Amino acid sequence: MDNEQALIQRAQKGDHDAFAALVSEHQGYVYNLALRVVKDENEALDLTQETFVRAWRSLPNFRGQSQFRTWLYRITTNLCYNRLPDLRRSLNDLGDDVMGEIPESNLENPSQKFESKEIKTNLHKAIDDLDANYKLLITLRYQNELSYEEIASTLNLPLGTVKTGLFRAKEKLRLALANYQLEEPWPVS
Amino acid sequence: MAGFLTPNEQENIIEDALRSYPLANMPRDISQTVMSRIGREPGPRFQITRMDYLLTIVLTLVLGAIILGFQALPPIALLQMRIQGILLWQSFLVNYRWLLPVTSIILGTFLAGIAVHQLLRSQRR
Repeated sequence: MDNEQALIQRAQKGDHDAFAALVSEHQGYVYNLALRVVKDENEALDLTQETFVRAWRSLPNFRGQSQFRTWLYRITTNLCYNRLPDLRRSLNDLGDDVMGEIPESNLENPSQKFESKEIKTNLHKAIDDLDANYKLLITLRYQNELSYEEIASTLNLPLGTVKTGLFRAKEKLRLALANYQLEEPWPVS
Repeated sequence: MAGFLTPNEQENIIEDALRSYPLANMPRDISQTVMSRIGREPGPRFQITRMDYLLTIVLTLVLGAIILGFQALPPIALLQMRIQGILLWQSFLVNYRWLLPVTSIILGTFLAGIAVHQLLRSQRR
């Protein structure tokens, strides 16, 4: 982190090498976020490039109130909003009816218990089929590992809306799992 | 024995699937493309343009002239100016008092209009 801080400070002074190091470090996550939303490799690559070019231009305005990566994700999601005008509305329309905490899994290593590749593949496909707004929330939470507060700040949404969105995304996955289970019940240990 | 999962087991399986959802591999490294695009742009530095210098000089001269001008005036002229100012203000209060609420209402409506417009625009996005 200290190293990243130093890179950011050097980049703010116009150091291209420092910025190149930051691009190398974060491009994978930015690309992944864009790809999950726009579902097209070329468009996602284009958005990733645009994110870093805009980040370079806005670097003097980065004061370090948020983490660099959440700042980058904010630029990416704003670019996604421009490409998909309905995305912003669909996120706002989620509402905020989930007031409490979303329960997290209590397994220390869930993969040890549920080893069925078929179930996992099926659920990964169900995640792929989710609407862009849910995929955006899931990617920020589970792949980019942001907290609910960081997601809310990145997407400029109320905290309740973020929780509601993630809760509903899980409900959709639960439904997909139930449907799969109806088709092919499996042994439970 | 074939069986159905409990809600807790479902939750764990879903959580596991979400955490193991694979990161997509990048088709290619974009560092060089980004750096070549950036290379064509000026560095992200705080810059002061010639216009900023010019504006600063003009403002300084104008302010300096006003301050020096007032200091150079004889005391009697300053007193007369003050009297004229008071008379002008009294005349405004007597003849154009209605201007204050009207201006406030117009300004308030204008600002409210801008706020509503911005809200509608952000809703549409």
